[in-house]
Amino acid sequence: MKSDTPANPLEMLAYIISLQIENDSVVYVGTGLPMVAAILARKTHAPNITMVYESGGQDPILGDMPWSVGCPLTWRKSAVLMEMAYSFGQSYNGYVDMAFLGFAQVDMYGNVNTHHIGNDLTNPKARLTGSGGNNDLSSLTEKMVLVGLQTPERFPEKVDFITSVGHLEGGNSRQEAGLIGKGPVAVISPWGIYDFEPETKRMRVKTLTPGIPFEIAEQTTGFELLKPEGEIPESPMITPEALHILRTGVDPNGVFTTMPS
Amino acid sequence: MSKFSYNQEALKNLNIEDTSILDSLVDFESARAAHLKKPRSKVDKRISLKEAIAEYVSDGDVLSDAGFSYVRTPHQAYFEMMRQGKKDLQAIGAPNTNQSYMINYGTVSYSHNSYIGAEMRGTDRNYSRQLKGGKVKILSEWSHGGVALGLKAAQLGAPGLMSKQMLGSDIMRHNPYIKTIQNPLKNDPDPVAFIPALYPDIAVIHAQVADKFGNAFIYGPVVNDSALAIAAKKLIITAEEIVPEASLRYGNGKKGIVIPFIYADAVVELPFGAVPGNMPGYYYWSRQWWEKTMRYAGPNEEKFIEHFNEWVMETKDQFEFVEKLGGAKWVAEARRQTKAAENDNEDIDFSYEEYTVDNDPGIYY
Repeated sequence: MKSDTPANPLEMLAYIISLQIENDSVVYVGTGLPMVAAILARKTHAPNITMVYESGGQDPILGDMPWSVGCPLTWRKSAVLMEMAYSFGQSYNGYVDMAFLGFAQVDMYGNVNTHHIGNDLTNPKARLTGSGGNNDLSSLTEKMVLVGLQTPERFPEKVDFITSVGHLEGGNSRQEAGLIGKGPVAVISPWGIYDFEPETKRMRVKTLTPGIPFEIAEQTTGFELLKPEGEIPESPMITPEALHILRTGVDPNGVFTTMPS
Repeated sequence: MSKFSYNQEALKNLNIEDTSILDSLVDFESARAAHLKKPRSKVDKRISLKEAIAEYVSDGDVLSDAGFSYVRTPHQAYFEMMRQGKKDLQAIGAPNTNQSYMINYGTVSYSHNSYIGAEMRGTDRNYSRQLKGGKVKILSEWSHGGVALGLKAAQLGAPGLMSKQMLGSDIMRHNPYIKTIQNPLKNDPDPVAFIPALYPDIAVIHAQVADKFGNAFIYGPVVNDSALAIAAKKLIITAEEIVPEASLRYGNGKKGIVIPFIYADAVVELPFGAVPGNMPGYYYWSRQWWEKTMRYAGPNEEKFIEHFNEWVMETKDQFEFVEKLGGAKWVAEARRQTKAAENDNEDIDFSYEEYTVDNDPGIYY
């Protein structure tokens, strides 16, 4: 049975994401792995988090995994169900501590593209989702964590379209553009966790997944990846307790944490 | 000469030469004039969906989506617009995938985008194909929050709002309506995005219940609809049930909002009006139908047309659509699922078999 098998990469990723969430914080979540991670965090080290959804649902009674950000499970018996403008307004006013963003591309400054691949919005190679709430959260929330797969195409030197500003051109350029909050604080890929060097705001390896050498991370990045001083630490491994909770109490049907066959 | 001074860089990036096509969405004067002409008295506004779409949806209108994601979207009203051969609408999406199938039929020719796709059901490859094929022209790019603020400005009675959203991003270079300006009260540089109040021509808002005058009760995520109701120049209320006015009055302990009757031009009793989406209190959405649409039909033009011909053009109304989803069996399961999702009933299992080409279930839960 699944409960005896070692953790798969998605389960490990969910665990790593969950560790970014501090107890007693307000967390904005979208569908997919970040939602799994937030629920795992709530059932392990962060029982007192408040989860906020784009639908306006806030602090729902946990049940099955929501199937969409508008799913009734995102506002199940919530005390509060806000309109969309008010929900993002909470981020602006400093009531949301962290949000997670997905990306099709992310560059060395943590700028995110979810719009299109190609160099012309009106005639792209492929049109993607566009912003949704991605830009709003990136512009307004105190801390952002970016989550996605890593290939040279997904980590290019320059994104094809800046959907959401991370650290823009580095230094103080995010603040100068008028944006608030700290911007992206971490990028999480299956290979490891990256942060941003404090002065230049360029992406830097923080820890690597056990078994992943720096060269793998380097070769799947389209720009020069900064390294910390000394030996690069390993990312924490999922504990047997967390894996058990993930498989029995968070995503028992493996909707989000089964590897595609 | 245009009354508006649009963002020139965005016009260039979007290849928009004749800007008159942009005017209606931000034309407060025409919206106010339309609102002033609406009936003030409590009159019975009930008509059929066919009549409402025929009378109130004009070719070229700016149509704003209502509800959110798959929730409370007036899909059945959109299907009727397609059946009646409406043309060249400008679609504001929440998401645009709720109307992107209308592009293939010429019903929608322009889009104001904030999100295109169906979340976990997949990316909208049909929209991408229509865009590349020149069947749809992008008039503006937004974030969800940007659209929300534009509609909220209208509701608040303000010509626009200043925001910190979208600044510095390429969205600003692809939206003719939004401008980066200096916060006038700050001495230090403080860029803000000016977002104008938005006034779509037409909106259809699907409510759980409404009275015959157009007071409409919404339960579950309201998202932008309290704002959209007052902003839209023309408003069609569709509802699962028509109820007496007394049951909508304040103090009955219900959670939700009521859209006032004075905004409504028409009221349509339309059970299953949000099918194949989710209607809180009534039915869960049809995940398998969306999977079939996005994964089987979406990637291929012929299959896509065949799919929408079968489900929309060759069905008469929402009842035929529900029959095709699985009829009474589908209704019973969809009702049980939304009730379980909204309440804390742990005894209901939400697992289901995903649609695949080899596993077409016949009933689309």
